[in-house]
Amino acid sequence: MVNGWIGRRELAKLIGVGGAAIAAGLPATVHAQGRRGTLVLGIDISDTISLDPARMAQYTPPMTLNAAYSSLVAFNAGNYVDLVPALAESWQRAPDDKALRFKLREAKFASGNPVTADDVKWTLDRVKNLKGQPALYILNIERIEVVDPRTVDLFLKEQREPVLGALASSTNGILERALVEKHGGTSAADANVADKATAWLDTNSAGAGAYRLVNWERNVQIQLVRNPHYWGGKPAYDRILIRHMSESATQLLAIQRGDIDAAFNLIPEQIATLKDNKDVRTEGLVSLDFVYMALTHSPELNKALAVQEARQAIGYAIDYDGIRDSLLGGVATRSASFFPIGMLGSTEKVTKEIGFREDLDRSRALLKKAGLPDGFEFEVSYGNAAVSGLSYGVLAQKLQADLARVGIRLKLNPMDQVNLRTQYTTGKSTSVLTFWNPAGVRQFSWATATVERVSKRLNWTPPADLVKLVRDATLEEDKAKQEALWIEYQKRMVDHANLIILFQPIYQTVVRNTVSNFPLTAAGYQVELENARP
Amino acid sequence: MSAAAEPLVAARPRPAALRWLRRYGLATLGGAIILAWIVMAVLAPWVMTYDPNFVDVANRLQPPSAAHWLGTDALGRDVMTRIVYGARISLSVGLVVVLVGGLFGTLLGAIAAYARGWAEEALMRVTDLVFCFPPIILAMAIAAALGIGTVNTVIAMLVVWWPKFARLARSLVITQRSLEYVEAAQSIGFGPVHILLRQIIPNAVGPLIVLVTLDLGQAILVFAGLSFLGLGVVPPTAEWGAMVAEGRELVQQWWVATFPGLAILTVVMGFNFVGDGIRDWLDPHARTR
Amino acid sequence: MTRYVVSRLITAFALVLFATLVVFLIANTVPGDPALAALGDEQASDPAAVAAFRAIYGLDLPLWEQYWRFLQRLLQGDLGVSIATRRPVLDDIVDYAPATLELATIAFFLSLAVGLPLGILAAVRRDSWVDHAARFVALVGVSAPTFWLAFVVLAIFYGHLDWAPGTGRLDPIAFPPDRITGLLLIDTALVGDWETFHDAAAHLVLPSIVLAASTLGLITRTTRAAMLEALSQDYVRVARAKGLLARVVVTGHALPNAMLPVVTLGGLAYANLLTGAVMTETVFAWPGLGRYTFRSAVAVDFPAIMAITAIVAAIFVLVNLLVDLSYALLDPRVVRK
Repeated sequence: MVNGWIGRRELAKLIGVGGAAIAAGLPATVHAQGRRGTLVLGIDISDTISLDPARMAQYTPPMTLNAAYSSLVAFNAGNYVDLVPALAESWQRAPDDKALRFKLREAKFASGNPVTADDVKWTLDRVKNLKGQPALYILNIERIEVVDPRTVDLFLKEQREPVLGALASSTNGILERALVEKHGGTSAADANVADKATAWLDTNSAGAGAYRLVNWERNVQIQLVRNPHYWGGKPAYDRILIRHMSESATQLLAIQRGDIDAAFNLIPEQIATLKDNKDVRTEGLVSLDFVYMALTHSPELNKALAVQEARQAIGYAIDYDGIRDSLLGGVATRSASFFPIGMLGSTEKVTKEIGFREDLDRSRALLKKAGLPDGFEFEVSYGNAAVSGLSYGVLAQKLQADLARVGIRLKLNPMDQVNLRTQYTTGKSTSVLTFWNPAGVRQFSWATATVERVSKRLNWTPPADLVKLVRDATLEEDKAKQEALWIEYQKRMVDHANLIILFQPIYQTVVRNTVSNFPLTAAGYQVELENARP
Repeated sequence: MSAAAEPLVAARPRPAALRWLRRYGLATLGGAIILAWIVMAVLAPWVMTYDPNFVDVANRLQPPSAAHWLGTDALGRDVMTRIVYGARISLSVGLVVVLVGGLFGTLLGAIAAYARGWAEEALMRVTDLVFCFPPIILAMAIAAALGIGTVNTVIAMLVVWWPKFARLARSLVITQRSLEYVEAAQSIGFGPVHILLRQIIPNAVGPLIVLVTLDLGQAILVFAGLSFLGLGVVPPTAEWGAMVAEGRELVQQWWVATFPGLAILTVVMGFNFVGDGIRDWLDPHARTR
Repeated sequence: MTRYVVSRLITAFALVLFATLVVFLIANTVPGDPALAALGDEQASDPAAVAAFRAIYGLDLPLWEQYWRFLQRLLQGDLGVSIATRRPVLDDIVDYAPATLELATIAFFLSLAVGLPLGILAAVRRDSWVDHAARFVALVGVSAPTFWLAFVVLAIFYGHLDWAPGTGRLDPIAFPPDRITGLLLIDTALVGDWETFHDAAAHLVLPSIVLAASTLGLITRTTRAAMLEALSQDYVRVARAKGLLARVVVTGHALPNAMLPVVTLGGLAYANLLTGAVMTETVFAWPGLGRYTFRSAVAVDFPAIMAITAIVAAIFVLVNLLVDLSYALLDPRVVRK
């Protein structure tokens, strides 16, 4: 092997083909029959910039990172509320109640060396000091102390504030200190300029996950091989190939031919054509992402939108079911407010009870109440992208037609990504149609975002009692009480009507039936590769 | 012609009408195509039964049928109606870019060529600069700076469109200015402006007309291309390039992308046929046959 | 002569620099801040993080200083670091250039191989059905929008007939050869990997046909016009009068003189192909410079945009220079200033 890149010969040996076949010249394309033991995924990984966990801020790298690294704690697929042990066997409050104490299990890195508390401290220090986006999620950790080789204490700034959800994120996957330091890594305070390990980490991993990263070829593929020392048992595959396929039509053909085992980016029209195909099945997963329309409160940008009833009128004029059924093939759901279904306090029932729905009469009545019986005009900005196969342009035109029914004239303003983000982040957008996906699963992150940075973008000063409500819900430890608080929060947000949820995608992944277990998850990394089984 | 040498070019005697058809048949066809599009574009609101922006998602992606001759698009809008309305945008944009850019460029080129000296040099260098620009980057930069929209895209196109007219005008004026009738006019005492307008330009106008005609098709192509990339018109305005972009992924629902592209093809072909025909008509060598 | 060349080279260099300056200025009027788009959502709202990012890329410096730095680096061969991919732009370009080079070259030869004979034939058999057919084909090639032609060709030959492979340079699960030149046909041939060679060649068919279409039209028309011009010259009449065979007159006398405009056009056309493949590359998911250009423009990625402008401008200016030089060599009247 050269630098971990596998040649055809090695692959042939791995999949157990005899020497004669090698001598005869194995074809470069690997067909379905001959590659038991290798899992091939087809997905668009063009957004990958780095595979260094401490620098990760994109959409697709977590899939790889979660396979290569284990964190202290984890979520089970589909459950985003209860944490389960991973590298940490158990955890509790330290005797003096000033820290969280984690007891590590006996686990080994892919190199065979044991996972120690020192590695944990080094990893988390490095994340903090590299000052990338992942550092923002563990700001609450003041310092880390090693108690003994299998025990580590996390001292928090705010004792009650939950930090476990952030720890479950693959950005906090534990690295093997000795190995990364050998390649220029450092966790010192000046790590953001002194650390040189990123280039090595882009094509290698130093983790304790089920698989080990052996190569990343930009916009071609990512290769992972089995970690024989994995603490969770023997991983089911010898090798995982994540192949870059930017065109959904290519993924469709590849999965039909058996060239890939799973396709992630098919659009509803294409999935419909696979309805009668006996070799594949479609797995749906309710994601934690959603597409929403943000409305400004600033009268300088739009006088009408500054009026609460006018915004509410927009919420009641949209044909949500039409969007879901006709434009998304019925494969989507919708939360009541900026808080996806699947988190504690957000369910489809809640949406039905307190969320917006199509009610044109109510919309017109609200417009009258707002003093705008003939409707009003406003402008929406959006970028050139698509979610679940539905482009913003098409969605915006549908909204335009919907709102016109009550006299609201929507002007469309397509923009490029840079201008859009600048305009929105600096609070100069009248209205924006965009996408929210969480970097990790933290129960409070949505609510905190809405009353902090998102509110600034909307030129909105959230009322003090709403901010307190969010704080209380974040710190509340009793589940039932917490749920009630979150529902109350959502009621208030629907009332303010500045963030209108349009749909929450149910991602359709098409999987070949040769893979028996393919646990999808919405927790950022899309699929639990460590539990995939033929 | 001796018996031993074969005719180099087929010059068999034919009835005049047939010969005219052979030479200008394609041009007439092109003219007819363009005329048809213009008529359709002008009469669109009266002839088309559907509203080009009427969204009906329940009816989306319907194949061509009696109700919708060319099918419906991703939002249930009638494709044929949108194509006809799209003709209005394409034809007007083409006209504006070529006429304005052409006028500006021609005047600049002619004046610079007649004035000679540093003016001519400066013109050459400026046109060189524009030529070596990647047009995509320029268009996108202008779109990013000014915002997406028809007017801004037209501005971006104008910036890159005038130089070729300037160059052509310059070379035509150069060939003309040394001709005898110009010297004669100068010796009689006509001023430079008079000579430029009354003597040089009328004689140079032929190739310019050819370029204008051909360029109308080019401008439509370029605008459609920019709309395809996401610049150009603002939705929901119907425009051919944007319609092809919306149907790009829909291989099964081929009508969404195919028909708008066919529209572009026929219009541009029409202009090219006509332009070729005019060029042939002006070609002195052609006349001798 | 050498003075002419030198003066042209200097002007060429100045032009390239000026082009980058213009692009730089335009790109800076864009109200968007590339830092905000490149950072994650939370970091983008953190002024300290944004400021740190901008400092790394020198975005907080005054405009003239940013441009000055760009010039300094350019003269050292350093094209800067891309804001979108966080990699040196030179690495990006070296990565993507061979794909475009391979495609453009194949397309160019295709259009020559078909366009030249077609044009000559059309001229020799003027106004016959051959002429009309050739002109029709040429005109369709020039009139069809590239992005549409790409879609139609893909839909028919890949989507419905399954004769051609899909998008991209290789089959999704093929193993690319080790990179020697980056040109797949050469790299696979050098190691004898004929299966992948076949795959790469198959993937080149459709996009090169699409890319060749417009150039084909141009070459056919120009060849035809140039041949017609040459055939009507006096020396041709003399040759005919002398009793030479038509074929000899055509190939020996008319053709060489007709080639000059064709050669110049060919040079410009090749430069055009290299730099104008954005549409084709987008539809065929071809990882080349065209797509990179488009992506960089969309992301307002200053270093990448300026590097590409410099390269494209350089290509055009150099090709122009070569064309003018060939004129100068063949026609001494041009050099006189």
